[in-house]
Amino acid sequence: MIHLSNIEKVYRTKTIETIALNNINLNINKGEFVAIMGPSGCGKSTLLNIMGLLDAPTRGSIVMDDQQVTALSRKKLALFRNLKLGFIFQSYHLINDLSVIDNVELPLLYRKGISGTERRKRALEALEKVGLSARTKHYPNQLSGGQRQRVAIARAIIGNPEIILADEPTGNLDSAMGEEVMNLMLHLNKTDGTTIVMVTHDELMAKKTQRVIHFFDGQQVS
Amino acid sequence: MLRKKYYTALTLLGISLTIMVITVFASFIDQIISANPPEINRERTLILDKVSLYKDGKKTDAIPSLSFLQKNIRNLQSTETISYFTSREFISFLNGKTTGHVLKFTDENFWKITDFEFTEGKAFHLNEVKNGARVAVISEKTKAYFFNEHDALGKTFPIQGLRYTVIGVVKSASPFSKVYSDVYVPYTTDINIQLTDKAVEGTYNAMLLAKTNDLRKVRAELRSRMNIKNTVSAVDSVKVHAFTSLEQFSKSSSFNDDEPEYGKTAIVVGIILVLFMLIPAISLVNINVTRIGERAEEIGVRKSFGATSGNLVNQLVIENIIITLIGGLIGLGLSVYASQLLVHFINTFDPLFKMPTDSFIISWRVFGFCLFSCLLLGLISGVYPAWKMSRMNVIYALKGGNNL
Repeated sequence: MIHLSNIEKVYRTKTIETIALNNINLNINKGEFVAIMGPSGCGKSTLLNIMGLLDAPTRGSIVMDDQQVTALSRKKLALFRNLKLGFIFQSYHLINDLSVIDNVELPLLYRKGISGTERRKRALEALEKVGLSARTKHYPNQLSGGQRQRVAIARAIIGNPEIILADEPTGNLDSAMGEEVMNLMLHLNKTDGTTIVMVTHDELMAKKTQRVIHFFDGQQVS
Repeated sequence: MLRKKYYTALTLLGISLTIMVITVFASFIDQIISANPPEINRERTLILDKVSLYKDGKKTDAIPSLSFLQKNIRNLQSTETISYFTSREFISFLNGKTTGHVLKFTDENFWKITDFEFTEGKAFHLNEVKNGARVAVISEKTKAYFFNEHDALGKTFPIQGLRYTVIGVVKSASPFSKVYSDVYVPYTTDINIQLTDKAVEGTYNAMLLAKTNDLRKVRAELRSRMNIKNTVSAVDSVKVHAFTSLEQFSKSSSFNDDEPEYGKTAIVVGIILVLFMLIPAISLVNINVTRIGERAEEIGVRKSFGATSGNLVNQLVIENIIITLIGGLIGLGLSVYASQLLVHFINTFDPLFKMPTDSFIISWRVFGFCLFSCLLLGLISGVYPAWKMSRMNVIYALKGGNNL
């Protein structure tokens, strides 16, 4: 599903060159739930951003869903993200000016041929899946952290993406809420066969996934 | 928009003030050049207000006299009607107050070329002009001044020591128009004409209503009239200057006394509009960069989920145009008060001759122009910030746009 070959990411300023990722080769299979672990600054999030096509590697190639995506134009990258990828962020990144349902609908706004009614229907279905169908008209700041992350999950799944990339999705939540969010992701992986790559610091959460990859100083160590 | 109240208020203030100034400016130009009542035939109405006399290679310009006009500018094949008129002023003393009035001496044809709305009575006719009848058509403002709200018809009032009888009351023309006056009387009652009227030089203008919009025929006929020998004795040749309101505006705005230059007019008007719009637009760009910059996280989220730069530019520009249109409506409302304020300001320079406070009228044309200006302002001030934001790196945008 995701094939990373010789990925390197270097951040350059006038005086310093920082190697964030060094020669990463990684294969993630379709339907797999993978956790990426490592200390802060080891390159986990950078790798996830590269997988999510939000950032470009300095060197190397990315093949996703049998498609070489490294050299795609900005427009095609946007389309690929819209159709194939879903994101869950540690700090939720919900739009405060939009209601819960409008936040969830957002990915479908950029998909051609979907009517407003269809968007609403699918948003309600997604919210149903995460148990928040009673909160459609609320605004993000009226929700708890766990509820916000569940809205973010609904937003990530509304477009039926093949891959979900989650950057420390339980990092801002207490253990009970974290557990709830983790169970939701496990359920999605099992029932829908969605490939999930999750960056986490939490070993207990990582253990629940099918594979744990460890990173250190920009390199994959296991 | 409502959540960023400070920036929204600042943006709305900038837009509304800009649109206010543009509206007053556009209203002024509209009243000078457009076919608004009572000047509904402006595009085929020529005002002849200057004669050039050439003698030994030297040119002398003059305002024509009534006798010159009546002798030379009459019975033209290409015109439907010709009217002669001059504007004077008179002072009245009423209830211990001194007030100045604009007085127009004219003829019966004046009412055929123009389309004044009579609220009372009628215009004077050929007989009254021929007989030098002391009759007057007055504006509503003058009626209110002399007669309060009572009927004015048949009542008399003094002009330069002589009493005139009111036979008609009209809605006032724009004070920026050549046909504006407080009082209209037959030119045959002009007692000063002997003093002011020479063979060629005088104080009168002619208003020529062409049969068609092709004004070249009128000009050609005027030229041929001036070619007739002995039109004016003691000069080599004579040229009359007759222009429409638009041509007059073009002449004055292009600083050319003799011929309209539309290219120069467009440049001058363009420069004024750019000055009115560019400085606010630059400020709005800066405000918008900050305002949109505060939405960096949102931009990052939208990009993450598949928004293209084009999607974001469209969204942000449309949002900006909506704000601009709201600001434009406020500006349009403010322009009513601003124009009245401007009239009060102008009136302080000449307290005797006061302009009516409703001198600036917002026509549909002006409204349309303001709408266009709003869209233009919205585009100018919205495109660059939107484009800048849409190109922002997603990762940085998600972190709040620290690299903007």
